[in-house]
Order: sequence, then structure tokens, then C-alpha cells
Amino acid sequence: MSNLLEIRDVVKAFGGVVALDGVSASVTAGAITAVIGPNGSGKTSLMNVITGFYRSDRGSVKLDGQEIAGLAPHRIARAGIARTFQHIRLFEGLSVFDNVLVAAERKGLKDAHARAASALEVVGLTAFAASDAAALPYGHRRRLEIARALAIEPRIVILDEPAAGMNATEKGELGALLRRISATGKAVVLVEHDMDLVMDISDHVIALNFGRALASGTPDQVRQDPQVIEAYLGQTSDDDDQAA
Amino acid sequence: MTDFLASYDNVISLVLLNGILGIAAYLLLIVNRFSLATGGLMAIGAYVSVLSTQNLGLPFALALLLGGATAAVIALLLGLPVLRIEGDYFALVTLAFTEIVRIIALNWESVTGGALGIVGIPTETQTWHLALALTVLAGAVYITRRSWIGRVIDAIRLDEMLAQAIGIDAARIRLILFVVSGAICGVAGGLAGHLNFFIGPSDFGMTRSVDAVVYAVLGGLNSIFGPIVGALIYTVLPEALRFSAQAREIVLSLVIILAVLFMPRGLISLGGVLRGSFRPGSRKPAPLSLHEKGVPAE
Repeated sequence: MSNLLEIRDVVKAFGGVVALDGVSASVTAGAITAVIGPNGSGKTSLMNVITGFYRSDRGSVKLDGQEIAGLAPHRIARAGIARTFQHIRLFEGLSVFDNVLVAAERKGLKDAHARAASALEVVGLTAFAASDAAALPYGHRRRLEIARALAIEPRIVILDEPAAGMNATEKGELGALLRRISATGKAVVLVEHDMDLVMDISDHVIALNFGRALASGTPDQVRQDPQVIEAYLGQTSDDDDQAA
Repeated sequence: MTDFLASYDNVISLVLLNGILGIAAYLLLIVNRFSLATGGLMAIGAYVSVLSTQNLGLPFALALLLGGATAAVIALLLGLPVLRIEGDYFALVTLAFTEIVRIIALNWESVTGGALGIVGIPTETQTWHLALALTVLAGAVYITRRSWIGRVIDAIRLDEMLAQAIGIDAARIRLILFVVSGAICGVAGGLAGHLNFFIGPSDFGMTRSVDAVVYAVLGGLNSIFGPIVGALIYTVLPEALRFSAQAREIVLSLVIILAVLFMPRGLISLGGVLRGSFRPGSRKPAPLSLHEKGVPAE
């Protein structure tokens, strides 16, 4: 497996707050890479740097060997990195189909309708194509975001907490969907709080804390890393105990 | 009927001209930019084309094109630095541009005739010219809005950040629309300049810019017919109210207030209500969001 995305020493500060403090990580094609970490650990900041919505203060982000740090978001999208957002963003006012079509058309007008239809089919929203995107129920909205991301035919799909608010069945379906996507050779980057989902479907896990990469490896390696247990997993199991 | 048309020829010309200006404003409102450059760009088109026909003896059609092209180039030069500004600031900067153009026209006496303006202009503009221009423009915008370009515009208006995330260069699309809008203002200025014997700096001030936005917002932004209907109402109503200067201002203001309060989709949504085909919530209004969503925080 070759590294499709190489992140080296990325630093991003907002005033005195250092959101990313020299993060290095890599993402491979055809695999699911999960980025975990407590709230405020820099997960979304890192995604915003990768996708160009934040400009890093230092460091490099290379897509297939090409430096993309500092490029405008639309250029990074065209280079092959698609994303969803932590707080669902849809073109509300457009139909479900047009939400995906406008993305598919970025890859050329030819066959755009067919490509949009197939992206909707992958996420199982074909029946809702004519609905207004704003009228979709929550779980469907998440899936529409994924369809839209797929429609630009990216090499990397970044999903920012796609399982948030989903029940166990929906999470199971989401996991299966992400596996299918990565099986097509795309790199899936999953920013996620749900440890069961992460440990279940990820090939590779990167744990962040205070803007640094604490640990990186297979789910089992990261699960057993004492620093990770200290920083994150330990807390999570406490939370689970309290919830139960 | 011909008598009727003859006596109202001026009003009809004005409605058609204002419809064109309404569309020019509409083209920026649909990508969340509230431009008040309309008057300034129109003045540039008017002076360039009038000077071309009067001093250079160019044919009218060529003079119009020259006016449109000049305004488009100025729009490009203005848009490059200014379009990245959002909301109120963009409105203010474009307003300042219109004022600057007016002040230049006022003081560059050797060329523009200063406050006295230019007189004795050949009245080349026929009503059918304006009708043709409006029809072609409305048709072109209608077709474009229904194509993939329309979807790109919708995407930028509805969520600019998301539009960028799928690979849309929002800044470039907006610049193109600003230049196209500038060209339209320039040609409209040329047509307006040859409508009467006279043009002066005060013909193309801030009022023109504000009125153009009113036509579009009053009529509605969901359809190309919105700006045209808005221009019709907002041009004919003052004429109908000419008997009383006070009543005129009050009624006009009331119309705007009532329209904005009760018809946020503009006057054209009234057509749907009357036909009984209006389905509340069936279609989202095109909100004039002047403040865009920022980058999501963690």
C-alpha cells in the first residue's frame, strides 16, 4: 500500500491557541484511516487544513507526491479530496438529485446524470432523488453528504463524524458502506468519536491529542497504546459506564 | 391603441430599460452580492457610447458595444479586488464606485461637459431596441439558469463553503457574473444615453443603483421574470401617482415594505397564489443571505 496522502509537521495556531502542533500522518488508498481524539484535539482542524479551508502555518500536505498545502479548497477538491462536514451541509432548496448532480458535473457534463444516479444508488437514496434535500430525515442527510462527496470522484473521502446521532443499525449500515467505498480503491478518512465503529471498520487509526499525533497503527495497536488509553479511550469507557 | 402606445412611449421605454437594469442587479444578488455599482457602470456605458456617436461618428450599434465593453473592463478591474468583500462592505464599496464615476463625470468638463452634461444627442434608441435587448437578455439568462451553470450559481448562493468543497471556484464565477452584469449596465447606459437629447452626471447616480436592486428584490429572485415584473411595477406606479408628490413617496415605500413582509419571494409569487398553484414550503425562497457561513469549528 502506497501513501496517497502525506502530512508532515503541520502547525496551525489561532492566536495563542495551537490547534495543530506538528502533526504528521499518512493515508493509504483502498483503506479506512480513522482519526480519533478527544474534543479539541485538532481532528477537524486537521481536516480543514487538508481540504484547504484552513491555511496551515507550517508543514506540508502532499497528495500523491504533489504539495497541496495552501491551495484553495476548490482546487483541492478538484485534485481529488472530497469531504463531508461535522454539521451536515446540504444545498437546501435543491433536490436530492441536484445536490449530487452539481457535484458530478465538476467531473464533466458528459454522463453527469448517470454518475449522480449511481452515487445516489451507492448510498441507497435513489428513491428520494426528487425530494427536496431540506426535507430528508437526519440519517438520509448524512448519506446524501456521502453521495455528494463520492460524486466528484475523489481519491480520498474525508468524513467528519458521519455516525454522529445514528443508532446502532444505522451505524452498522454506515460501516458497511464505508467498507464498500474503500474496496473501490478510494482512501476513506474517518473522523469519529464512536470507538466501536472505528475499531470495527478501520485499517489504520491515528490518535490525536492537544494537536499532536499520540499514536498511529492498527486498531489493536492504538487500543493498547498507554498514552491513548490515558488520553482518550479510558475516558470513553468511563463515559460508557456512566451512560449504562 | 397606437395613440395609447405613443402617449406612453416614454414610460414603456423606461420599463424596458429598468427591466434590463433589474436583471443586471439580479445576476449579482443570486450569488449573494448586493451591488450598487449599477449606476456607475451605466454612466460609463452612456458616456462612452454617446461620445462615440457624437464625436467619433461611430454607428449606434458599435457605440453600444463599445460602451458595454468598456463597462465590462471596468467591472473586471473593480471586481478583482472588491468581490472578495462580503455583505454590507461590498454594498458600500460599490456605492463608492458609483459616486466616484459621478464625480469624475461632473468634473471632467472637457469630455463630459461637467454638470451641464452632453446635449444634442441623436435619439437613436427606439422602443423596440429596448424590447429586443430585454427579451434577448431575459431569454439568455433563463436558459443559463436552467443549465449546469444555474446549478453552480444555486450552489454558491445556498452554501458557498460547500460549493468550494465540491470544486466550484466561487470567486471566479462571481467575477464572471460581475463582468457580465457590467457589460449589461454599459449597454443599458448606451441605450439610455441615446433615449433623450441629454445626459448628465446626475442621471446615473446612486438612485439608479438602488432602484435596480429594488426591481429585482421586489419582483423576486426565484425567476428571471422577477426583476422584469419589479421594474414594471416600480416604474409604472410612480407615473400613475404623479398627481401627488407626497402620496407617491408614501405609496411606493408602502409597496416595498408590504412586498418584503408578505412576499419574501417577491411579487411574482403572487402569480402562483392567484392561480392556486402556490404550495407553501414547496420551494425554498432564495434568501438574500448577506452573511455567509464560516468555516466549521471543532
